[in-house]
Parts: sequence; structure tokens; C-alpha cells
Amino acid sequence: MTYESYLDDRNVILTVAPTGGVHGKDANPNLPEQPEEIAEQVAECEKLGAAICHLHARDEHGENDASRLQEVNDAVRERCDDIIIQNTTGGQSVYESRVQGIRTDPHPEMASLDMGPFNRGQHIITEHTRHNIDRLAAEMQEKGIKPELECFNNGHVNEALRLIERGGLEEPYYFNIIFGHGTFTPPSPENVLNLVSNLPENSEFNLLAVGEHQLPLTTLSVILGGHVRVGMEDNLYYRRGEPVASNAQLVERTARIVELLDCDLATPAEARDRLGIR
Amino acid sequence: MTCPYLEYRRQDDTHEFDHKRPYCAAAESFCSPMKADVCNDRHEFDHTTDCELYSAQEAELPPELSPEPSE
Repeated sequence: MTYESYLDDRNVILTVAPTGGVHGKDANPNLPEQPEEIAEQVAECEKLGAAICHLHARDEHGENDASRLQEVNDAVRERCDDIIIQNTTGGQSVYESRVQGIRTDPHPEMASLDMGPFNRGQHIITEHTRHNIDRLAAEMQEKGIKPELECFNNGHVNEALRLIERGGLEEPYYFNIIFGHGTFTPPSPENVLNLVSNLPENSEFNLLAVGEHQLPLTTLSVILGGHVRVGMEDNLYYRRGEPVASNAQLVERTARIVELLDCDLATPAEARDRLGIR
Repeated sequence: MTCPYLEYRRQDDTHEFDHKRPYCAAAESFCSPMKADVCNDRHEFDHTTDCELYSAQEAELPPELSPEPSE
């Protein structure tokens, strides 16, 4: 979890977030929305070295629909070899919708767990109270689902520490530190260094940065001994003015960077071992 | 009640899709999935108070042309 970790270990977990719930095909027609489209792109990414896929589900209109996570999970399992499924419990929906991400059959090996709310538009604060976070964490702990602790800003690290103190999380704690606009931590190398320095012992971290910040800050994450998340949920452009052709295009570039930095990409089995996924 | 400016379309001047997608007649553009949650009053959202586009559009319309208010 430090530069020394990078020098000593060099085994990087790559997560692909193929679709998310923020953008639609109107923003980039190559964004996969339906279960088969998502599964097809995830399978390509697994071949290129992705160990984890972070999944959302949409309805036939491309709108968010957590009730279709089962279909997405089934399609991914059908097409992929061993990739770890990490369902979302995030976004802007209410608890009853969020919890569907950990109630698929079989349940996912991992799930995201937002550490607090964030602002949207002029009038919205996402509904995500400590009570709901605790309920989701408890169900994940009971089922052996590894939570990915989504920290949209530094204060969310405090919320994760609160959960740790309550005994609600198992080591190693897997943080996803997020950089971008609005409520997210402002994207800069200095803020990455600062946030990483505030993570507790026995943690691993993954870095997510939106838009044009995805490439430089995920690269920095590798150098700091962290892991990376790329994909069209977070970034719709391959480079300035050039829309992404597929999630595989982003994964392939990151795989190349990881190799140039003399690191290996973790296989799903290695990622399970490292994150303590049973 | 859904927003009166919400439509479902397959195309506009620059896009064409296989399936109908949420479209905001006030903004004259397709809606993002998260915006569509507000348009449809899902997850306890209320487009009359949570959508700035609705508010702006309503402010410009004379009363006789305003959509019926939601419950």
C-alpha cells in the first residue's frame, strides 16, 4: 500500500466497470447496457487481465434497474471463466434497491459499499444513511461477500473507520478511493498521496478516477502499490476527443501500462487470495 | 406521476437507437439513467422539486400551458 509495496510486490488487481448507472448510449453508443452486451465486453476484459467486474444493470430503455442484476450475473458467469463478480449497492437509489446487489443467487463474491451520500444536480443528496450502510455491511459479512469500500471523499474514510471499529469489516479492508468532480475528492496526485496516507493498516486500495483523470491517476495508483479500476462507467473517452470503442480498449491500455511498470496483473484466484475472499 | 416533459423516443436529430430511451422535452435531449430516475419519480424523488429543468421550464410557461401538478 506504499511505493515500497510497489517495489516489493508488483501484483495489481484490475477491476473493470463496464457500464455503471450514470451514462447512456446517447453519451457513447459503445457503452454496454443489456446483460448480453455487458457479459460480452466483460469476457473480453477478463482475457486481457481483468480480475474483477463491477456490475450495474439496466432495463430495456437503458435506465437503472437493480432487479436485472441476476440476469447480468448469469450472463457474465455464462461467458467468463473465473472473473470475480462485484455487484453495485451504490448509486442514488433507496435501500430496497441497493440491497438487491447482494441478493442474487448465488450471491456475488464482492459488492461495492458506498461510505456515504453525494450530491447530484441542484436538489439531490443521495439517500445513504449510516443505518443503511451498517445494514448492507452486516448482510455482506454474514454472507461472506467482500465489500469494496467506496470513498467518494476523505470524510468517507472516517465512515469506513467507524465500520471497522464496530467490527463490521474483515481484513484486509479493501478501499476504493474516488477522484472526480462534485462531492468526489478533487483529482490531483497530491490528493491521492494524502488520501492513501490516511488509510488504516491492513488495507488494500483501488483507485477510480473519472474522465480524463482515469489514465494518470490509475497509473499513479500502481506506483503507490495500489490497484486500478478502469472502464466506461467512469470514462467514455480513450483520449481527448476520441470516444472509447469498448471497455476492452481501456483495459488493454492499463494492462500495457502495468506491464511497462514491471508489474503483473493478478488473476482472479490471486485477487481472491489477496483480498481474503473465501 | 412522471414528469410531463418525459418522453420515450428511439431517435432525435443526432441519435438513433434500437430501443426507446428517456427523452426530456424541456431540455430537448436524451436523459441520463440517473436523471430518468427523477423524471419517473423513482426512489422517493419528485421531479417537481428535484429537477432543475422542470422548475426552469415551469417558470417560463404561462399557467394555461402548464402541465397538471403532481400529487
